[in-house]
This record gives sequence, C-alpha cells and structure tokens, in this order.
Amino acid sequence: MQYLIHMSRKLLWLGALMLLLFAFTAPQLMAQSVRPPGNAVNLDDGTEPGPSNALGDVSDTEIWDQFRGGDPANLLGPALDGQAMTTTGQQWRMVRENLIRKYLGWLPLIVIGLLAVFYLIRGPMRISAGRSGKTIPRFSHNARLAHWFMAAVFIILGLTGLIILLGRPVIAPYLGLQANSILTSAAMQGHNLFGPLFIVALVWLFIKFVRGNFFQLVDLKWIFKLGGFFGSHVSSRQFNFGEKSWFWMVILGGIVISATGILLLFPWLVDDIRWLQLSTIFHALAAVVLIAVAFGHVYVGTIGMEGSIDSMLKGEVDENWAKEHHDLWYEEVTGKSAKEETS
Amino acid sequence: MSDVTDTAVRKFLEHTDSEAASFFEACVHCGECAEACHFHLSTGDPKYTPTYKLRPMERAYKRDKAPFSSLKKMLGLAPKPVTEEELREWEELVYDSCNMCGRCTLVCPMGIDIAGTIRKMREGYAAAGLVPEGLQRSAEFVKKTTSPMGVTLKALKAQIAHQEKETGIKIEIDKKGADYMATFSSMEVMGYPEVLGAYAKLFKRAGLSWTISSVAYEATNVGVQIGSAPMAKEILERVVKAAEDLEVKAVISPECGHAYGAIRWAGPNMMGRQFKFEVVHIIELLDQLRREGKIPAGTKDGRRMTLHDPCQIVRRGGLLKEPRKLLDESCDDFIEMKGAGVTNFCCGGGGGVSANPRAEELKTKAFSRKVDQLNGVEDLEAVVVPCGNCRTVFEDGLDAYEMDLEVIGLSELVAATLDDSDEKQG
Amino acid sequence: MSFLEFVEGPLFAVAAGIFLFGAFWRIVGIIRIGRKKDIAPPKASAAAGFVKGNLRHFLPRGIFAKRTAVHIIAGYGFHLGLFVLVFFGAFHVEFLNERILGFAWPTLPRWGFILASEIAFAGLIVLWVRRISDPVMRLISTPDDHIGSWLTFIMMLSGCFALQESHEMLRAMHMLIVDIWLIYFPFSRLMHAFTFVLSRGNSGATYGRKGMNL
Repeated sequence: MQYLIHMSRKLLWLGALMLLLFAFTAPQLMAQSVRPPGNAVNLDDGTEPGPSNALGDVSDTEIWDQFRGGDPANLLGPALDGQAMTTTGQQWRMVRENLIRKYLGWLPLIVIGLLAVFYLIRGPMRISAGRSGKTIPRFSHNARLAHWFMAAVFIILGLTGLIILLGRPVIAPYLGLQANSILTSAAMQGHNLFGPLFIVALVWLFIKFVRGNFFQLVDLKWIFKLGGFFGSHVSSRQFNFGEKSWFWMVILGGIVISATGILLLFPWLVDDIRWLQLSTIFHALAAVVLIAVAFGHVYVGTIGMEGSIDSMLKGEVDENWAKEHHDLWYEEVTGKSAKEETS
Repeated sequence: MSDVTDTAVRKFLEHTDSEAASFFEACVHCGECAEACHFHLSTGDPKYTPTYKLRPMERAYKRDKAPFSSLKKMLGLAPKPVTEEELREWEELVYDSCNMCGRCTLVCPMGIDIAGTIRKMREGYAAAGLVPEGLQRSAEFVKKTTSPMGVTLKALKAQIAHQEKETGIKIEIDKKGADYMATFSSMEVMGYPEVLGAYAKLFKRAGLSWTISSVAYEATNVGVQIGSAPMAKEILERVVKAAEDLEVKAVISPECGHAYGAIRWAGPNMMGRQFKFEVVHIIELLDQLRREGKIPAGTKDGRRMTLHDPCQIVRRGGLLKEPRKLLDESCDDFIEMKGAGVTNFCCGGGGGVSANPRAEELKTKAFSRKVDQLNGVEDLEAVVVPCGNCRTVFEDGLDAYEMDLEVIGLSELVAATLDDSDEKQG
Repeated sequence: MSFLEFVEGPLFAVAAGIFLFGAFWRIVGIIRIGRKKDIAPPKASAAAGFVKGNLRHFLPRGIFAKRTAVHIIAGYGFHLGLFVLVFFGAFHVEFLNERILGFAWPTLPRWGFILASEIAFAGLIVLWVRRISDPVMRLISTPDDHIGSWLTFIMMLSGCFALQESHEMLRAMHMLIVDIWLIYFPFSRLMHAFTFVLSRGNSGATYGRKGMNL
C-alpha cells in the first residue's frame, strides 16, 4: 500500500512535468519563422513590370543593392562610404530568431526534465548514517547573505529576462499581444533596474566564496567517481568539483552577462552596432545556460540532497552530512577523523 | 486560562505603561540586541536574544492592551493568548539569562530598554509564584533577618568589632543625628568586611560622622531582583524609616549593583514621596570628598589594574566618571579594558542570577566575555570591582577560568592609598 | 470609472484616510496608556534625554560596528533610498501635486531615481534574506515581519514595472498595491516608522534623568 502511494506520487510529478513540457512545446511549434512562406512570389524575376508607383525600371533588388554599397555579399561589414545601410542587423536577427529564440529556451526545460527523471529513479539522497543531531558551522552569515542576495537578484533577472526573450513566441500566443506587451514592458523595466545589482551581487559572491573554490587534485578523483551521484563515496574538501564548477560558471558567465548587460544598458558606450548585437546573443546565451544549471543547483540544494539547505539557511550542517559529503573539510575543521562515528 | 496564567497576564498588563507599550510597538525583531547580550554571545543559542525573553509579555500586551487589539481579536488576528506552559518555559529566560544589565539598549536601533521591561515582566512572574528557588530562599532569609544571606545583627556586630580592632577607629551603631547612615550588602559584610574598616578610615579623615543602623544595615533589595514591587517597597521602607528616625543627612548606598538603583532611582517612586534625606553612592561621596580635598590621595598603588564597571552603577546608574577619577588618583598603572565604561560587559551575576544556583553553569559561560575583556590587557595584575556581587562572581569566574588576578574593592583601594601624613601624629 | 481611476481616486482616498487615522489613533493610544511621574530627584533633564535618545540611536556605538555593519548599511540603504524615491521621484511628486498638495518641488533626473531605487531594493532584499538566514532572526520573526517586508517589496517592484509609463494596467497595479500597503500599515510592524520616536524618547528620558545617554 505504501508502495502504491509512493509510486502514484511519483507518477503525479511525472504527469505534471509532462504537462509543463507540452505547454511549452505547443507554442514553439507555432512560433513564426522569419523566412517568407514557400508559396511566396518573387516579383523581381525581370518578367513582370515593377509596381505602378516604382521609380522607373530599376528592380527593387538593384535599388537596395545601391543602398547597401553594391556588394550583395557584404552583409556583415561596417558601413562603407556612400553606403546608406548595412544588413548586419538582418544577420543578427536571423541568429536571434532562428537559433536563440527557437532553441535556447528548451535548455532549462531539458535540465528540469533530466532532474525529474533523476529524482524519480534515484530519489533524494539521504544522509546514510542518519542525522547525528550535532552540527558544525559551514558558512558565515555574511557568506549566506551574499548567496541569498545573489539568488534573489538572479531569480528576478532570470524571470524578467526570459519574458523579454520568449514573450513573443511563448506568451503572446496564449495571453494575447496586449498582455504580452504589458508583461514585456514590466519585465524590461525590472530587468534594467535590477541589472546593475547583479554586478554588485557577483562581486560580493566572488569575495565570499572564491577561497576554497580553486580546483585541486582531489577534484579529479571526484570526476572519475561521477561525484558519488551513482553510489560510491567520494572525498571532498570544502567544495566538491560540482560546486566549484558551478561557482566558476556563475563568475565567468556572470562576467559575460555583466559586460554585455552594461553595453545594452548604455549603448552609447560603443560606436559599432555589432558590439550590441553580439551582446544580445552572448547575454542571452550565458544567462539561459546559467538558468538551466541553476535548476540543478537548486535541486541538489533542496530536495535532491538531505541536509544541504541547512548550510545556506542556518550556516550549520549536520556532522554526518559533513562526514559523508565533505569528509576532508570535516577533518580540517574539527580535527576529528571522518571515519569515526559521531556519538 | 489557569490561575497562574491569569495572575501573570494581569500583572503584565498592569505594569505595561506607555513606556513599555512604546517598546513593544517599536521592536521590529531585527535581532541586534543579541549581538550585545553576553548570554547569547557566549552560548550562540538564539533563545537568549533579549527581545525574545520578553515574548510572553509582548504577546499579552498585543492581545489585550494595544491599540486595535479588540478589533484584531474580533477578526481573529490578535496573537494567541499566553499559556502556562509558555510562562514556565520562559521562566529560565526571564530569571537565569538576564541580568537587567542594559547592554542591549546600546545597540537597539529603537533604543528599547529591555532591561527595564524585564523588571516589569518579573512582576507577573513574582505574583504568579514562578520564581527560581534560589531567589525564593533569599526572600525567606530577608523576611527572617533582613539579609538575603541570613546575616544577623550579631554577625554584623562581630565583623564591626573586628574592623574596629584592625583600624583602631570606633564604628557607631544607631547614632542619631550623624551625617551619613551607611548600608552594606551582605556579601560585603561576610566576604569583604575590610570595607567597614575602609569607611571608618576614610570618614575619620574627612571629618564626617556616620553610623550603621541596627535594623536597616542591609542595602540589597531582593524584591527588585525577584520583581515584586510590594516586597521591594517593604524592604526599602525599613531603610527609609531607620534613616528618617536617625535624622541623618544622607544614606550611603554601598558598592553594590541594584541597591543603588533601588533606593536612588526607584525608591521615591516606590514610597510615593520624597525622602527626608539624600541618597548618595559611596563612589559619588568619595569623589565629592576628594574634590573637596577632604581625603587627599597619598602614595599610589603600583599594580597594573583595570576597572570593571558594574552595570547598575555605571550604565544604568549614571556614575561613569567618578570611579575613573578616583582610580586615576589612587593607582599608577590604570588601564581601561576594551569596551569599558558604558559598553562594559556585565559580570553575569546581577539581577538575581548569582542567587540562583540553577543558573550557575550559564553564568560561568557568560563570564567568558569578561575573561576576553580582561585578557585584552597585557600583564594585568588586579581588577577593581566596585560591587560586592560582581566581586563574588569575579572570584568564582576567575577560578573557573584559571586566571590569576586580584580582585579589589574601590573603597578599600582609596582608603589604602589615602594620604595619611596627618594621621601619623594620631 | 476605469480601474485606474478607481485605485487612484476613491480607493486611494479610503486607503490614505485609514493610514492617517490609523497611525494617529495608534500613537495616541500608546501615549494615553500613561506612565507614573518619576519623582526621584533627577541628575539631568529627562526632556533633553528624550531628544538625545532619539538622536543617539541612529547609529550603534563603535564597539558594535563590526557585528552590526551589514544590518546598518542595508537598513539605511533601504530607508534612505525609499525616502528619496518616494519624495523626489518625478512621478510621485506629480501625483502628490495633482491629487493632494497642489504644489511641487525639484525632483531627481531619471538616472537618479533609478539609482535610489536600486539602493532601496538592494537594502530591502538584504534585510529580508538576513531575516531568513540568521538563527536569531529565524527564531524571533513573526508573520507580520515577513508580510511587511514582502508587501513593501511588491509595492516597489510594481512601481518599477510601471516605469515605462506606457500601460495603464501597470500604473493601476502599482497604485492598487500602494493602497493595500497604506491600509495594512497602521495595524502592523510598519508603524515602527512613527513608534521609534516614542521608544527612543522614552528610554532616552529614563536614562537622561540619571545623567546617562544610552
């Protein structure tokens, strides 16, 4: 009976997940492509006269060629003398619509899906020796504040950023263009206001957590044993390889986001519009990757691993949790062997 | 609601005047008070957060006396009533882990006087009979002998006789019309009786007459510690009556913590009238006499020493400068501890805690803050502790932490460093 | 009447009325409880102590600086930032001018407003995450503390969302939450904005008579 209840709970989760996935799938399929439809007619094949209000018998293509400085292949270069426009914007738009907007949004969903599967198969990782009831300090209050401040700012920026990026293809089909406009306007203002706070949070986070996050030999062993996620015990110091990778992803990805974000907030800082175009691409890329991995981080920190949340909410962890997951750190801090039982 | 709860809550509400109410209304639960409290700092246990100690009284106020409380009760939004279980659970917080030292007020952004409010909260506890055994025993001793340690007049007289022999100066008992009537704490009489001799020497030099009352020699007021206004008043009345009967000009409050506050600041309010005499703390008096040139300083004590500021005399009593001036003149090598003065750490034994054996372990732990302060002064030889209760706590605490330090009273130091060139003829 | 007209008109009038009357009633209620006159001979002035107490507690003593640093910085960042953006933000001054006061005063340029808002947001977020991550705060906090923080945050956030001034709905949502906040204010912990004067003053006076300024 217990097993049935247990399984049906898991199935319910799975069902909810599938519903979520479906909800996101449908509009993606409905998203407009920016290429002209297949049955469009090209009026410029030279056989038909131009539209009645055309300026003579020069074709549209030729007119636009002249605007572009004559070189149809010059789609990416900067403006030449006499050139009235460039088409780098079009190239950028192609990349943004067809690559970023169409595919990048799937990444967090895939990660959520993988996590759900992992949870259903492996379940939450419990402290094998059970809680000892004794705790040791792990993170100072200032470190916890840095983390949660970053978390709050990250969530706000992530949500508003995703609305800006995916509002048109994902929200508008459901809630209508008017609602999307309201949401996107709100999201844009929120995103722009909180953006600089991300930089503050990033610096604070770096200062508080960089010590202990440098890669060491013990991390190689952690990688080979797949982090102990699939059975077997691995040794770690204060931070394991997974945590260290996440830290550096956040810092490096965060630097990319910050730099590109600054350019997008203050576009007059650069002369060449291509910097801004690249910025939107890399800003979205880095942000969505971080959002995707953040789900993994939140998973392990909450339901995925028993006892983890204590480290960041209360600053202390159960001794058995420490011995199991960060035995070398435990020994460094307490001076006791991690192999002994906590009385 | 049980009788206990009924009585306690009724007293809570009775003693929540607009001052206490303003405190309950202003506390935003910011937790800063914990950063100043030696009980929290030495144990790391959040339950010792000062504002948390007031929780039952705060709740009673917000449920039954605060503006809008009736409206909130109608809508079911008022806080839940206080239960007897909670009152009993909080007894340890209210009595064992608060010295009413007032350090928390220093750091509170709202300037809340938690110490004074704990005093009011104890009224509820005392009326409901939820008082630690140790304090109850002291109260019983006081009923029998006027002294919380059971020091009888006979015992006092024996100490006086001994000091008269030591100093060669007569100490008058019940002398009508004397300038000053001195009161003492039992701790001093039994533990540090040299203070009697010190008074004798100093007052002889200053040329003022003084006496000790045979019915009102005890300065401490266990009623204040327990938090029972009726008991506090009764104990005080004895001293006031004796002083007025003896027609003295002033009553001297001794080197004791709460005794000064009890008679100087709370006294007239408890009695409902002004006294026919002044109240002066011995440190105040000595400082005054020294400024008047009546007790000139002689050879200074050469030991490196520091000063412990008793909470009820300095921070909550108002005598910040006087002990320092006297020390400067009495010793060569006086060094202030870090955080001395208004921000000084309590010894951990005031407010009835040292009379409460149940709180012994906690008190010793809290003393670790004081130990840190003392260790901050290099090559320290002695510490001047102008409070009998603090002195006992120091002696126990230094022993527990295996520290070798002399503990001296201020009057004795001033008497010992008195310029006695005139006396050599006597 | 449109939704916007409703939240900026009748609902605002009701909310502001409840706010003003409620705050006044509560303060008067606290004072009316009364306290016995202190007849012990004073060493110094209690009235001066009332004022000194109010000023002294704006900053904790130096010895506590390290322990209280984050709290003080975040606290002042939030309070000062909020004060500046409410009373010197162009949109707010315009609202007050049109609806209530009939006069205006110099306001911040847009970037100044954004900066003040950022500081206010940062401060409020740090204060709230402090409340959930510090064992002392976790023990002593009540629902009122959390609701007060979140309501204020959502009010500020809705204001931020309406910055483009292009959609009535966003402005209306902000006004609605402001109205809710104004109604919640006098019955909650938010009243500390006024009660702090009484509490600082009371202990300032009590200690002032003894000649101490704590």
